[in-house]
Amino acid sequence: MVSIAVTGLGLATPIGLGHETVWPGLLAGRSGFRTVALFDTSRHGTHLGAEVQDFDPAAWVRRLPVPSMSRASHLAIAAARMALADAGIDPEQITPEAAERFGVTMGTTSGEPLEIERLSDLMVGDRLDELGPELAGRYPCHLIAAHVASELRFAGPNQMIPTACAAGNYAIAFGVEALLAGRADLMLAGGADSFSRMTYTGFGKLGAIAPDLVRPFAKNRKGMIPGEGSGVLVLERTESALSRGARIYAEIAGYGLTCDAHHMTAAHPDGDGPARAMERALQTGGLSADDVSYVSAHGTGTPTNDKLETLAVHRVFGRGRKVPISSIKSMIGHTMGAASAIEAAVCALAIHEGWIPPTMNYDEPDPECDLDCVPNQARQMRVDVAMNNAYAFGGNNASVIFRRPHAQA
Amino acid sequence: MLRREVVVTGLGLLSPLGDEADAVHEALLAGEIGVKPIELFDPSLLTTKNGGEIRPFEAERYLGERNLRPLDRTSRLLISVAGRALEDSGWDEARAGGDRRELSLAVGTTYCSMHTIGEFDRRGLKLGPNYVSPFDFANSVINAAAGQAAIWHKLTGINSTLAGGETSGLQAIAYGADLIRTGQADVVLAGGVEELCFESSIAYSRAGRLAGGEVGTEGNGRPVPFDRARDGFAPGEGAGLLVLEAAEVAEARGAKIYARIAGSGAAFAPERNGDFAAALARAIAAAWTSNGAGGGTLLCVGSGASGARELDAWEAAGIARGLEAVGAAGVPVTAIKANLGEALGASGVFQALSLIATLADGRLPGIAGLDMTDEGFPLSGVSAAAQIVTVTPGGLALATAISADGPTIALLFAAP
Amino acid sequence: MERIEIREKIKDIIANVAGLKREKIGDEDSLRDDLALDSLSLLEIGVDVDYSFQLNLPDERYKELATLPQMVDLVEARLAELAPVSA
Repeated sequence: MVSIAVTGLGLATPIGLGHETVWPGLLAGRSGFRTVALFDTSRHGTHLGAEVQDFDPAAWVRRLPVPSMSRASHLAIAAARMALADAGIDPEQITPEAAERFGVTMGTTSGEPLEIERLSDLMVGDRLDELGPELAGRYPCHLIAAHVASELRFAGPNQMIPTACAAGNYAIAFGVEALLAGRADLMLAGGADSFSRMTYTGFGKLGAIAPDLVRPFAKNRKGMIPGEGSGVLVLERTESALSRGARIYAEIAGYGLTCDAHHMTAAHPDGDGPARAMERALQTGGLSADDVSYVSAHGTGTPTNDKLETLAVHRVFGRGRKVPISSIKSMIGHTMGAASAIEAAVCALAIHEGWIPPTMNYDEPDPECDLDCVPNQARQMRVDVAMNNAYAFGGNNASVIFRRPHAQA
Repeated sequence: MLRREVVVTGLGLLSPLGDEADAVHEALLAGEIGVKPIELFDPSLLTTKNGGEIRPFEAERYLGERNLRPLDRTSRLLISVAGRALEDSGWDEARAGGDRRELSLAVGTTYCSMHTIGEFDRRGLKLGPNYVSPFDFANSVINAAAGQAAIWHKLTGINSTLAGGETSGLQAIAYGADLIRTGQADVVLAGGVEELCFESSIAYSRAGRLAGGEVGTEGNGRPVPFDRARDGFAPGEGAGLLVLEAAEVAEARGAKIYARIAGSGAAFAPERNGDFAAALARAIAAAWTSNGAGGGTLLCVGSGASGARELDAWEAAGIARGLEAVGAAGVPVTAIKANLGEALGASGVFQALSLIATLADGRLPGIAGLDMTDEGFPLSGVSAAAQIVTVTPGGLALATAISADGPTIALLFAAP
Repeated sequence: MERIEIREKIKDIIANVAGLKREKIGDEDSLRDDLALDSLSLLEIGVDVDYSFQLNLPDERYKELATLPQMVDLVEARLAELAPVSA
């Protein structure tokens, strides 16, 4: 079985840019929650968000004009450049022939919502005559993957997979398959989403947003906090990575994708879909639940998600052993389509560094979430196998498993 | 590595020319035009007032008496064709009879419900954030239609949404075929959906991509693929799904086999201009190489040309290079967007269904309204009139598409 | 507004959101059981009722309701609260 290696990581998050900043921040329990700056929340019931700070698109978008695209694309390009640099690859040195075998696949929840918000502003303000060609040029969500590829001149397979809050994992799965089938030699796989009033208002209307902090698995958890960001992984066949002397963070052991087919915004009450996704991922990886060292939870911090996620975890892992399972959404909020990509990077780093991030803001235990959620303190431990779980609107469930590389260059 | 054969065992579609694949095939052969004055919304701000609108669209006919209020147009279109495809393939009967196999879904779409997203946001602006519609929010994620269809039809396998503009539908079919080939699924409903709406139409109109030229002038432009006087595409809508199935599963249940998915290839054009031809040629070459039967005879091409001024030329150039490389220069080439408009997420599956019909009876629709092609046009096989294709067992049909933003894709279908 | 008027207006909203015929909505019906309304539908109804009657109540108040009569009670009481006080 051909093995797929993770050789580079790029992160743009509410607690910083680049894994050199983000990883220590996660281990230190840094919070990315601030009063929302993008729009006025005085008529909303909550006021906190997790926006990416101090982000200058011009620092990352160098080939294409910055105004030719919108924020999620900016964040995606930034993370893509970081990931390539991290993998020791200079995009300027890639020959056109090689670039034909380099592809991009990204996930997202809303694509570029700022652009349709602008259309709304113009329509409601009766100023449609101000609309030019920019809406078609910046709005369609597949532009995110397209802009990354155009910026880097990658001419291989290019696929946008907008499967909402599980999209990053779907993109990683697509990247893996493209490499296994020999359609590409390198795939950038990840996710990106931009903060927006639309997303914030929607989750607010569902009553899903916490007023103060995100407390995954805690008894007093009150909800999630919307965020934004991008995570991109460099994926290659392990043999190619070894032959070019790349550092390998981890290998991808397997993945499982399932659908609840139950309800648009509420998970199935018995946690079946998420459990099957985990089981399938273990199965494809030839692993058992006992092999898993660490689980990166979906852990949004809503009363329902965390309870059902616990149910699913117990089904798969049994109630005897408490596999450490933490949620970084306790620090960077819910970055939507970027979430599982950022969390995938965290899994790769956990394996590489021998540390797992905490679930912050954990005060009172909830008997319905009887898990070892690595409360409030990062933990140093050897991680051989890390499972990354993500669940989305529409009942899309995705689990990707990372394992310690068998060989290093 | 496991590589299973993928066959097509069922179809469902909703298009401006009807909801029965056979009838739509006849309509295309007769050169019927489903592009007509838009009534779904006021098109007066668009450069063209015509579109490929599905009218009437009576969702109750397909969805029955259940509550449709939580579903928007896009979801209703997709759920309707999913039901038709399940029926056509015999899977709804099999499941009623106790078959518990998981069915998967791969949906191509560009926007899903740009209208719903717009409505949701505008209501918040007008009435305040407290009065937005929860139903609309649930339908504002781009995988909403796929989610709604999975819930309605209990599709508990893999559920994915693929976005690539004009390439979305073929991307979804390629994705679904790969799920089966690699053993991740046995049955995948694959295709796409796109609704006609003001929001996406005005976007294209302001970008100068719709037919028609100046707003307010007479006439609706010339959305004719490959035509020398083409000036843009007509916005369209629709939905379609193929039931893709592992060949051994289809054979075991005695299913009707419409076609085999012989191969697919995708490539990107980073410069997004002259390099489109090279990218599409690579996609076609990759599709050809991935054809498990090895070689075979390419009989015809169903392109994604739409009347777009530059894109059509690049697609033609790419097809020409691709055909040359596989020794099939000069085979008949068609484009059905003059009849249906540019249905984005649904275009790929319309192209697929049309080619599957051609592989069945050897008749390829002409390019409706085609007068003269560009000077130096590289494809000799185009025709305004329908053409006859001699279909041999295993004969191949090629579907191609390119998106203005860079992605290109090629999909090969084989006659059963 | 008369109680019966309130109830009829609420029934219109429920009929619209739930795709039910008005005749099928009984005056005493429970929302989740008799009318089989799920959480998203109840939220949508809450938004429409609040906007329709201009009540400005927080969502939690609607979550507490189990039956149609309780919803009518809520609207009636709130309208009385909001009515201008006569001298």
